[in-house]
Amino acid sequence: MSEKTRIYLQPWPIRIWHWINASGIIILILSGAQIRFPETLSIFSSYKSAIEVHNTAGIIVSISFSFWFFYYKMVKNTLDKLYIPDEEDIKHGLVRQLLYYCFWYFLGRPSPYHATPDHKFNPMQKSAYLAVMFVLMPLVGLTGILLLNVTPLRVLVLMWGGIKFIVALHFLLACSLLAFLCTHVYLATLGDYIKPMLIGWEEVEEHEEPEKAPEVAIPGYRPVRHYPEYEQMLLEQRHN
Amino acid sequence: MKPADLQKMSLLAKLALCAWALAGLIAQASAWGFSYGDQTGNNQACLSCHGKTGEVPKGTFIDPQRFTQTAHASLGCEACHATVPATHPDGNKVPKADCRDCHSGISEEYAKGLHAAKTACNGCHNPHLVQNPKDVSGQEINMICSNCHNGLEMTAKHGEWLPQSELHLRMLPCITCHTGAKDYYISMYIVKSKGDSRFGKQEVAEYADLKAIAGGRPIVSLIDTNRDNYVSLEELRVFNRTQKSLHLYGMMTPSTVSHKFEILDSRRNCSFCHTSGSGLMQTSFIAVPEADGTFLRVPVEKGAVLDALYAAPDFYMMGSTKNAKLNQIGLAIICCGLIMPVGHGFVRFLTRKNRKEKEHQS
Ligand code: HEC
Ligand code: HEC
Ligand code: HEC
Ligand code: HEC
Ligand code: HEC
Ligand code: HEC
Ligand code: HEM
Repeated sequence: MSEKTRIYLQPWPIRIWHWINASGIIILILSGAQIRFPETLSIFSSYKSAIEVHNTAGIIVSISFSFWFFYYKMVKNTLDKLYIPDEEDIKHGLVRQLLYYCFWYFLGRPSPYHATPDHKFNPMQKSAYLAVMFVLMPLVGLTGILLLNVTPLRVLVLMWGGIKFIVALHFLLACSLLAFLCTHVYLATLGDYIKPMLIGWEEVEEHEEPEKAPEVAIPGYRPVRHYPEYEQMLLEQRHN
Repeated sequence: MKPADLQKMSLLAKLALCAWALAGLIAQASAWGFSYGDQTGNNQACLSCHGKTGEVPKGTFIDPQRFTQTAHASLGCEACHATVPATHPDGNKVPKADCRDCHSGISEEYAKGLHAAKTACNGCHNPHLVQNPKDVSGQEINMICSNCHNGLEMTAKHGEWLPQSELHLRMLPCITCHTGAKDYYISMYIVKSKGDSRFGKQEVAEYADLKAIAGGRPIVSLIDTNRDNYVSLEELRVFNRTQKSLHLYGMMTPSTVSHKFEILDSRRNCSFCHTSGSGLMQTSFIAVPEADGTFLRVPVEKGAVLDALYAAPDFYMMGSTKNAKLNQIGLAIICCGLIMPVGHGFVRFLTRKNRKEKEHQS
């Protein structure tokens, strides 16, 4: 067995945020489903408690979302770098990652991407999180806040196209979040993702650690640019 | 009570009965093409003074235009104010009928309710301005109650158990919860943004405002464009898209007005209203204001409140007015989310050997 090193991948505020967010959203999905389909679902004891749970969870998730944004943007200042795909990601990264998930993974090849604290996400994660965290979450939160204050915010409600439109939007966004959730949780089981999100540290086998092979790596390297070369690189490292 | 009084009472009751019979006749007559106004020559004697603000003290003024439109006009003043002395006006009291004489059914029902001890019929009805429930918008019914029950206080009181109580009390006539009824319909009324901007403060649209917007044509034609006294979904959509400063708000109103005011425990259960499938949300009307202060009730095509977006964009009742098509789209989205776990997971299972082998190699 080779030596293991540990990378501190997920700082504690992010871990706390993430699990509040995750449990909040699961509760929101369950209570929301009962609110929309009261005749078929009774997960919470009554309609009223479903609504109260939904309102409370909605407020908690909104606050924790703001906290997440604040933490990455103001404290860590890594929001843009982490979440916005760059040119390379769009040109090659996405395709490469997709090929990995659809073919190479099944053939047993390792992931073309390895996470470091500054480049946590592979190009597909980046794009998905970008859509979820910058479009879905804010929109679902805003529509939710409008629905929570229909009378005081009547004018805003009308500006958004009437309450029916807001409800429809809120519902479809929630369905999208549920779709994301299924994919997200499944993909987390593909690699060693869950442990870092729980304890913060990721264990990496010594020889895979990027710093060990700086001369092979291309500058600005997020472990690989072209997948076959990565294989090549690994081979070379092993022979050295 | 003195015997003379009793005699007077029974005389009054008989008179009232006669009047009622007469009213039946008149109602028949009006069905033949007369209107109440034509039959009220006997109101004229009294209205010559009481119909003019200058002639009588303010409290005794009766708006002749509005009175002659009411069902009571056909009875004539004397049916309720029997034997006004010739010396009138002399500061003496004039006899006034008891509503019970003619509305015995409703009076009995009312007497059984919890409100009977709080106020008499005239607390909610002005005998000279009675209206048929059909001609009243749900919003107006709440104005009756708010004469005695302060709106803010009610919002706070109901808010103790009712989520979003402000919204509820604005969108529901009080009687929807405080009287029993078998059936409900959605009564829509027109609101207007202040200052004609699309997003100004919302107020119930007045007859004069709407008249100005309609520009000489009858107000109904704003919505019922082909004037067939029926509003189709298409007409609703056109209205909602073209009338920028007007909106339709809806209220869930009992189809029959009972007078047994009560506190119904079933109304504490949100599912009384917030469930679908009962067909509750299928019937709707639009209340269009008329010159005399009443409302013209125009039926609306079925399904208006269930339409996804355009037919009634400002009316939504959680749980009950959800749109089936949107549910299907939502389901499709969720299924997309299952592609990875199910599809990928399956192939992953089939190829699990490949990954084991690689692990052994390294
Ligand atoms: C359906 C019965 C009914 C008819 C018809 C009726 N009244 Fe009255 N009127 C009453 C009652 C009952 C009261 C007492 C109302 C109260 O105490 O609030 C009253 C009160 C009044 C008052 C006192 C002021 C007030 O509003 O309390 C005047 C004046 C009056 N009526 C005039 C008339 C005239 C004039 C007519 C005909 C144009 C007429 N009424 C028709 C039932 C009637
Ligand atoms: C000549 C004008 C005149 C005519 C006609 C007239 N009234 Fe009056 N009425 C008055 C004035 C002025 C008062 C207020 C002074 C008073 O109460 O006597 C009054 C008061 C009343 C009141 C309130 C008194 C109370 O009991 O509280 C009623 C009811 C009433 N009138 C009914 C009638 C009815 C019914 C007729 C028709 C049969 C009629 N009046 C015709 C001038 C008139
Ligand atoms: C003399 C008999 C008589 C008296 C007294 C009387 N009413 Fe009426 N009322 C009628 C008649 C007749 C109608 C019309 C019949 C119908 O539509 O049911 C009517 C209709 C009504 C309506 C419905 C109006 C409509 O357009 O359908 C209301 C509300 C009403 N009365 C309230 C009262 C109140 C409140 C009192 C007591 C102040 C009262 N009435 C006293 C005879 C009377
Ligand atoms: C707490 C308020 C309240 C009281 C008190 C009250 N009503 Fe009503 N009544 C209403 C409302 C609200 C309506 C429906 C709107 C309308 O027609 O004005 C109504 C409608 C009516 C109608 C028309 C019903 C129909 O279906 O055509 C009659 C008749 C009537 N009331 C008679 C009476 C009589 C008689 C009394 C006294 C025993 C009375 N009301 C007391 C609130 C009240
Ligand atoms: C003329 C004044 C008046 C009008 C109008 C009126 N109420 Fe009331 N109501 C009272 C009074 C007084 C009470 C007793 C005090 C209280 O509980 O606030 C009362 C109490 C009630 C109660 C509670 C009864 C209890 O035992 O706690 C209900 C429910 C109610 N009203 C409903 C209505 C509705 C619905 C309307 C309109 C259709 C209405 N009221 C219009 C005077 C009025
Ligand atoms: C969603 C149904 C609903 C609507 C709408 C509603 N109420 Fe109530 N109301 C209730 C119930 C249920 C209670 C009993 C609450 C309790 O026991 O605390 C109640 C209680 C009351 C009471 C007695 C409060 C107290 O404890 O003193 C009054 C008065 C009252 N309502 C008046 C009104 C009026 C006026 C309106 C219209 C503005 C209205 N309600 C609308 C359901 C409703
Ligand atoms: C719909 C609710 C959820 C949202 C919006 C969400 C969003 C996110 C985001 C934005 C990240 C990146 C975190 C970072 O900045 O470091 C992340 C990571 C992660 N999430 Fe979630 N998550 C949700 C639910 C869940 C659930 C229910 C689970 C597991 C049961 C889960 C497991 C993980 C794991 C293991 C990671 C770390 C792996 C990675 O960085 O991709 N998530 N999630």
